[in-house]
Amino acid sequence: MTAAVYFISDLHLDAERPAVTRALFDFLQKITGDTNGAPASALYILGDLFEFWVGDDDDSPLVGEVADALREFSESGPDLYLMHGNRDFLIGADYAARAGAQLLDDPVVVTTGGNDLLLMHGDSLCTRDEDYQRFRTLARSPEWKADVLARSLDERRRLAAQLRMASRDAGSRKAADIMDVTPSEVERIRRETGVRTLIHGHTHRPARHDEPGGTRWVLGDWDAQGWFLRHENGELQLNKFDVIQ
Amino acid sequence: MVTLHTTYGPIKIELDAEKAPATVANFLMYVREGFYDGTIFHRVIDNFMIQGGGFDSEMNQKATQDPIENEADNGLKNDFGTIAMARTMDPHSATAQFFINVKDNDFLNHSGKTMQGWGYAVFGRVVEGDDVLEKIRAVPTTSRSGHQDVPTEAVIIESATLDEDSGEVA
Repeated sequence: MTAAVYFISDLHLDAERPAVTRALFDFLQKITGDTNGAPASALYILGDLFEFWVGDDDDSPLVGEVADALREFSESGPDLYLMHGNRDFLIGADYAARAGAQLLDDPVVVTTGGNDLLLMHGDSLCTRDEDYQRFRTLARSPEWKADVLARSLDERRRLAAQLRMASRDAGSRKAADIMDVTPSEVERIRRETGVRTLIHGHTHRPARHDEPGGTRWVLGDWDAQGWFLRHENGELQLNKFDVIQ
Repeated sequence: MVTLHTTYGPIKIELDAEKAPATVANFLMYVREGFYDGTIFHRVIDNFMIQGGGFDSEMNQKATQDPIENEADNGLKNDFGTIAMARTMDPHSATAQFFINVKDNDFLNHSGKTMQGWGYAVFGRVVEGDDVLEKIRAVPTTSRSGHQDVPTEAVIIESATLDEDSGEVA
């Protein structure tokens, strides 16, 4: 029996939703001593673990508790990988080290159980949302990051709260499909990497899509329910469970 | 005065056309054309705000008119019971969606003409229906159609009506 590999994303951890944080801690324990099969050999968190990120120097209890739980998990054996999302893209090497996690590029190709898997957060696939893509380009620039991180923690918290109010659907006559992935962009990235199986989150539309170029697995966000994708014996399976409120 | 007739009761809003002329004109245009009738409060965050006016009860997004200029530099504050325009990260992107603050949200106020500092344009305040706000802010929410904080049971704006005799300069 091969070991199981897990993929999650879009937990949007936030002090105001403690049930989701508890669900993560339960999940980490469950997959460490899996009763239904092999225990986890790796966990990939594909972005937006946190609702917002103001900097690795954030001293809020939530940030510390999550780092402790993740480090305990990774020290028990499994490899832990962390990808940035559009909310928590300022997570840095310091926090990753505290959590015992390795930061992943987006996109990245990993090989598990002999299968190549293309992993992304998913926001870069939504190319029709041009306003957002402009912000993404800006916010990922070293200058913007340095400018933001140079501000006081209080000021960064205020900025994060302002950004939280912004909603992608509120303006500019956007149709709902703008916020889903662009099929041609999915095909482009498949061609570029030569990998047929794509796993991403971001859109909060959990599903398996069998497309001409390959299979696309979309992870779900964690709220009243949690979602995870499990890879075992060469098979991928999308699962959901109730988050105990 | 505009009244939002919601499934939880009426919310009466006094608009400030003097301080937020473009925003009020834009809001009234949507009210008059019946745009808000049948839309929902689709983003409800207790202790923060309730946002609506853009989706129907099936979470289909309605097509809007062009975005408007942000009037957040008008001195009005995002305090409890005020109504402000929702927008994307672009300060000048508000169309139809609005939100009602259910607490004093100082961090949403204008602090400078930068992307981070523009803030959210307040254009009126609730003068009747605080009890309705209290009920709506407390409804259970879930994630739906790619959105978080969506009420489990739709909170519908059955109609938005304009009281022409309110003496407003609108």
